[in-house]
Amino acid sequence: MTLSVPNIVILIVIGLLGTGIYALLTVRNLIKVVVALQIMVKAAMLALVLAGRLQGQENLGQSLALTVIVADTIVAVVGLALAVQVRRVVGSLDLNALTTLRR
Amino acid sequence: MEAGIAFLLVVGLPLLGAPLIYLIGRLVERKKPSLNPARWVALLVFLSAFYPLGIALQAVINQDGPVSFSLGLIRLQLDGIGALLATLVLALGVLVVLFSGPYLGKEEHQEKFYALLSAMIGGMIGLGCTTDLFNLWVWFELMAIASYPLVAFHRQSAAALEAGVKYLVQSAIGSAFVLIGIALVFGQSGTLTLSGIRANAPLTPVMLAAGALFLIGFGVKAALVPLHTWLPDAHSQAPSGISAMLSGVVIEAGLIALLRALGALFAVSELWGVFLLGFAALNMLLGNLMALRQTQVKRLLAFSSLSHMGYIVLGIGCAFAFGAPNAAEGGFFHILTHGLMKGLAFLAAGALLYALYIANGKHQPLMVEDLDGAATRYPLAAFTFSVALLGLGGIPPLAGFMSKWQIFVGGFETHQPWAIVLVIFAALNSVLSLAYYAPLINRMYRHQPSRQIEIGQPVSVWMNVALLILTLGVVVLGFWPSLAGWLTQPAAQSLLTALGG
Repeated sequence: MTLSVPNIVILIVIGLLGTGIYALLTVRNLIKVVVALQIMVKAAMLALVLAGRLQGQENLGQSLALTVIVADTIVAVVGLALAVQVRRVVGSLDLNALTTLRR
Repeated sequence: MEAGIAFLLVVGLPLLGAPLIYLIGRLVERKKPSLNPARWVALLVFLSAFYPLGIALQAVINQDGPVSFSLGLIRLQLDGIGALLATLVLALGVLVVLFSGPYLGKEEHQEKFYALLSAMIGGMIGLGCTTDLFNLWVWFELMAIASYPLVAFHRQSAAALEAGVKYLVQSAIGSAFVLIGIALVFGQSGTLTLSGIRANAPLTPVMLAAGALFLIGFGVKAALVPLHTWLPDAHSQAPSGISAMLSGVVIEAGLIALLRALGALFAVSELWGVFLLGFAALNMLLGNLMALRQTQVKRLLAFSSLSHMGYIVLGIGCAFAFGAPNAAEGGFFHILTHGLMKGLAFLAAGALLYALYIANGKHQPLMVEDLDGAATRYPLAAFTFSVALLGLGGIPPLAGFMSKWQIFVGGFETHQPWAIVLVIFAALNSVLSLAYYAPLINRMYRHQPSRQIEIGQPVSVWMNVALLILTLGVVVLGFWPSLAGWLTQPAAQSLLTALGG
């Protein structure tokens, strides 16, 4: 695998995705979970831009990434709003405190 | 009215209605809180969408050419699948609004509830009509984002918040996977048009990986076992009207998104069909086994949704694997009847939950024991709940029997040994499911009234109206299943056309 620009970007995409998944599996703080989700989606955005570049359709690829930013920000906002409410009601941001619903 | 304009109105009305409902609700509620205007505006918006929907449906059924409109590069087209989804979503939406008025009672921030419901309905209608892979994701996200706050609507309850967090995190992971899949497809084929992808990209390992990512990503929303763990929590903790929407249409919308994406990538192929059939078997078995051990009514219904997704995926999977038109039609018919039956079941359980707990100012789950003797004080709610349960269990002559029957017939017609084994497995599961539906009915009619029933409040008239309309639908479709043919046949045809069959 030569060290060309697309290859480096692919490596970054895989790295970001791996970081996000690893963080989701290990982190127990709700705000950090939202951050981990953001990292995963950032990998997807980079992949979309790269795909546009490889196909010679940079405009389309970048506009897709912009749309993703908008949708993804709303998800983050809703997630953080939930986190605020969890902190108020449960008194902790720890996911281990949120295990009343079993089975 | 021209069909294209009518179609634009069907998609646009709920989307424009969402901010309108919020603003009117907000402005009027500050002055006169008793008026509860958001609910009536929502009802008006949904009812007014039916007229253009009728015109657009007529054009689809008469096959007057494609019913579509374009905004720049974005093109929406109403085909059989979109028509089925739009009709079901709007019909259930109207009944949920009727039901939720008294259910939410004096709850604060009702305008947000109706505005989000409207946005969710708009998202689902758009999801059924998209012609572009990326737009499919955008509509899917719109539907998902609108449903997160709705699940956690009772925001003072730790259980509802927990359900909301689980739902949000799992759905968001799923949608990230879908995005990566889209990037892979785009990088391979250079196009995102659903009908153009297969021609542009050969079946490389990259496309297979994209298919797997779609299966995982959309599978979370469609609650394919083992990606289902958010569903029982979210469906049981949401307000009952939203449970009805989530179980009746949202998970089906997730499945339709999956079908659109996979159908764009692959033609009729045993590989993906077998995957879907495997998920069907898992869903039926696990849904039924878990439902057997539940003590909360709404949680039990949520697990039964899992098993019903199994029946639907069985029908659609046969279409994917072997191009069986009757199985596809049965699958879509079951989407329709399951929407009605599960909507009815959740609304009836919600009516009892309201009468026994919420009207008395308590927020706690409705337990199976609370149903004891419900028929003495709530004859209508008990009767409609029984109709829904018997229909879900597949007792003739109710709608559930007819749609399951059609799936089974479609499965047999493939003449594939594995499909036939699965159909027999599904039939046995259907019998097994009666083991948890029947005791509920037994409790309602043959047990002495529980203490909760004796101190319960009356059920409101609007709730009863919604329950009766849905009961009528379940019974009528059971006696005359061909009445739904005008919706299910074009849907099956659209699926097979997309698969190139």
